Amino acid sequence: MHERLSFYVHRDSPLHRLNPLTKLTMVFAFILLSFGSPWYWTPHILIVLVILPLSFVGRVQREYLLTAARLIFPAAGFLFLMQSLFQPIGQTIWFRWWVLEVTHEAVAFAFVNAARIIVMVSSFTLLLLTTHPSELMSDLTRRGLPSQFAYVIISTLQIIPQMQAKAQTIIAAQRSRGLDTQSSFVKRVGALVPLVGPLVFGSLVEVEERAIAIEARGFTSSHAKTSLCEIPDSRFDQILRGALIVSVILAFVSRLWLS
Amino acid sequence: MAIVTLQNVTYKYPLTEAPVLQNVNLQINEGEFVAVIGPNGAGKSTLCYTLAGFVPHFFKGELTGTVEVAGVETHQSSLNEWVLNVGLAFQNPFNQISGAKYTVFEEIAFGLENIGVPREEMKPRVEKALALTGISDLADRSPYSLSGGQQQRVALTSILVMEPKVLVLDEPTSQMDPIGTREVFGVIRTMAERGMTVVLAEHKVEWIAAFADRVVALKDGQVLLDGKPGEVLTSPLLEEAGFGISRYTSTARKARELGLWKKDQLPITLEEAVEGFSLTSSPSPKERGE
Amino acid sequence: MKINIENLRFTYPTGLEALRGISLTIASGEQVAIVGQNGAGKTTLVKHLNGLLQPTQGSVHIGDWDTRQHPVSKLAARVGYVFQNPDEQLFSRNVGMEVAFGPKNLGYPAEKVDALVKDALALTELSDKTETNPYDLSSTWRKMVALASIISMDTDIVILDEPTTGQDAVNVRRIAHVIAALRERGKTVITITHDIDFCAENFERVIAMSQGQILLDGPANEVLGQEAVLATTYVDPPQLTRLGLRLGLKETVRNQAEFLTAIRK
Repeated sequence: MHERLSFYVHRDSPLHRLNPLTKLTMVFAFILLSFGSPWYWTPHILIVLVILPLSFVGRVQREYLLTAARLIFPAAGFLFLMQSLFQPIGQTIWFRWWVLEVTHEAVAFAFVNAARIIVMVSSFTLLLLTTHPSELMSDLTRRGLPSQFAYVIISTLQIIPQMQAKAQTIIAAQRSRGLDTQSSFVKRVGALVPLVGPLVFGSLVEVEERAIAIEARGFTSSHAKTSLCEIPDSRFDQILRGALIVSVILAFVSRLWLS
Repeated sequence: MAIVTLQNVTYKYPLTEAPVLQNVNLQINEGEFVAVIGPNGAGKSTLCYTLAGFVPHFFKGELTGTVEVAGVETHQSSLNEWVLNVGLAFQNPFNQISGAKYTVFEEIAFGLENIGVPREEMKPRVEKALALTGISDLADRSPYSLSGGQQQRVALTSILVMEPKVLVLDEPTSQMDPIGTREVFGVIRTMAERGMTVVLAEHKVEWIAAFADRVVALKDGQVLLDGKPGEVLTSPLLEEAGFGISRYTSTARKARELGLWKKDQLPITLEEAVEGFSLTSSPSPKERGE
Repeated sequence: MKINIENLRFTYPTGLEALRGISLTIASGEQVAIVGQNGAGKTTLVKHLNGLLQPTQGSVHIGDWDTRQHPVSKLAARVGYVFQNPDEQLFSRNVGMEVAFGPKNLGYPAEKVDALVKDALALTELSDKTETNPYDLSSTWRKMVALASIISMDTDIVILDEPTTGQDAVNVRRIAHVIAALRERGKTVITITHDIDFCAENFERVIAMSQGQILLDGPANEVLGQEAVLATTYVDPPQLTRLGLRLGLKETVRNQAEFLTAIRK
């Protein structure tokens, strides 16, 4: 039923083959560049010349463009509209409508901000589409992230849909006992206790049993952990990460130098 | 040779007044299949947790007496070391899935990763375990997409892959439908046939009768009976003490009162019941002669 | 209160067709067990009886009510539904309050609520545990609290989903006793169960389901003796029925009394 719990699309591509840390570095580098670069068109160029082509390199262009069309662009468009209309900056008035003044400066500001949002959400989307969550976590664990921390993140991702299903059952059980969850607001608020109580108790039982189950499989063993899947970290990955970091530093230095 | 030895074991959980296990003495030999029966609250789960080291290492509380498995005494060992000798699986299959893995194959490798098994060894061990429990075809599925019986077999495989010396199972089929029950008992039978030491707490007497070398009946934290299935499961003490017994046994006992069961030994399986009752239902040679 | 189901079909939003044409009438006061493998549609079917699910096609009538025209919270006055896992419904500070929750929701006056609660607690042998927090009870007793909290609603129809799962012999007897008491009161009891021996000993009518359809429906002896048909939905006949079949007894038997009578012949 929950065969697909993450965004991950299993395919073979150069982007899939990159080390997870390289992709994570890429995400942060793109975001920092789009916010930190002194050049106005940086985020726009990133979208058209880097992120869009990368989605093809990663063979997830269909999934990416769908997400972009349904979610990312509408959200960014909305932000652009609001900031263009309500941002009280600039004198170069393009037109006036009712109490609103639309200035050249506000539109320019809104246009770059919308692009930054697109860069941010798009690069995370690409990361999630091409990186298996457990691969990302085992790579980070290998690099020193505490394994308990990684476990909590991954298991939460997986357990959320299960919790939702459980909540549905509890609601059904209480409605069967005459609980009115559908009419007035007051009734809905009153209905919370019978719903939250069993959910919390059930979770406590679950947490204890799961703790026993993973303990029975040596979770807190003092041995150094090993990993089933080998996560490649090539020379190319290392160079790429270096290059990304250098470009971010250059962007910030040039910004300071120019101001 | 004894692999498990419990001597005068008494145990009390931290927040309860009365001890849950009282003066339990038990010896289990290597390769033995021991079923533990008893009403709810008799201490079956606690006994399982004690054998698996969770009592006292996880639940704390007061444990007196000695628990020894494979020559190691529980007080002298840590839970981490203990779980390498004793594997534990329990009722709810869903709560036994780690939640950290996306495929059954990875799920089963989880324990091997934790104890630092080198990658080259991991794959063959997981494959072997999957084949043993007959779930190789599930290897690439998400553990959450499986039926209860399949999930429970994944949980068992996840323990077996760690190659424990003793397998402890706490009512592994109590939440299964008949197919799930059959699937899980299929795995348990395989383990028993391969000579693994198994301790199984279970209500389903018909399955116990078919598998167990020995049955231990617990009542109020004490061992009430301990012996061969044919003796323990037919003991009149069980019904009085509120144990579930098979309909074959209870009906044959009633029939014996009515003179309709001619054998000394009461049946515990369908086969034994068929054999015994055919003496009744088909006319005996003497009657035929008249 | 009569239950009338006509040509019921139900498809989940995922596209899974869980019920594929069910027609069924259950008379007032009948005791019915529904058996069949997981995924056969048993739970989906009973969830239609109190409106938790609405037919994709066909209709469900509880007495003179069409379930599509009444909300679950109102249907609750006619159909009580005990869910499988008590932990998914218990929330009150003590057993008494938990059991009073249903009748209060139904808007009954305080004296009536008190009387219903007292009666339900007595029937489920919980009278001495009124002040106890449900979570201080064993899972066995929590099951009884869940049962009591539906019985106290005094509905004409009571649905039990897997009442014996995880219960020991003593508690299975207690639950059987409750079902017998409900029968005497003229209640309709519909039970989903995997426990086929329990089914044989406590129910007069058995419905076997498979793949969203009714495979067999009739008096318990008729249905439970059909070993080959039941096997297609992974149900084994009860122990004594199997024994009777193996011994070649003429009639199908399902409990000790029937077996002993038959073997004497």
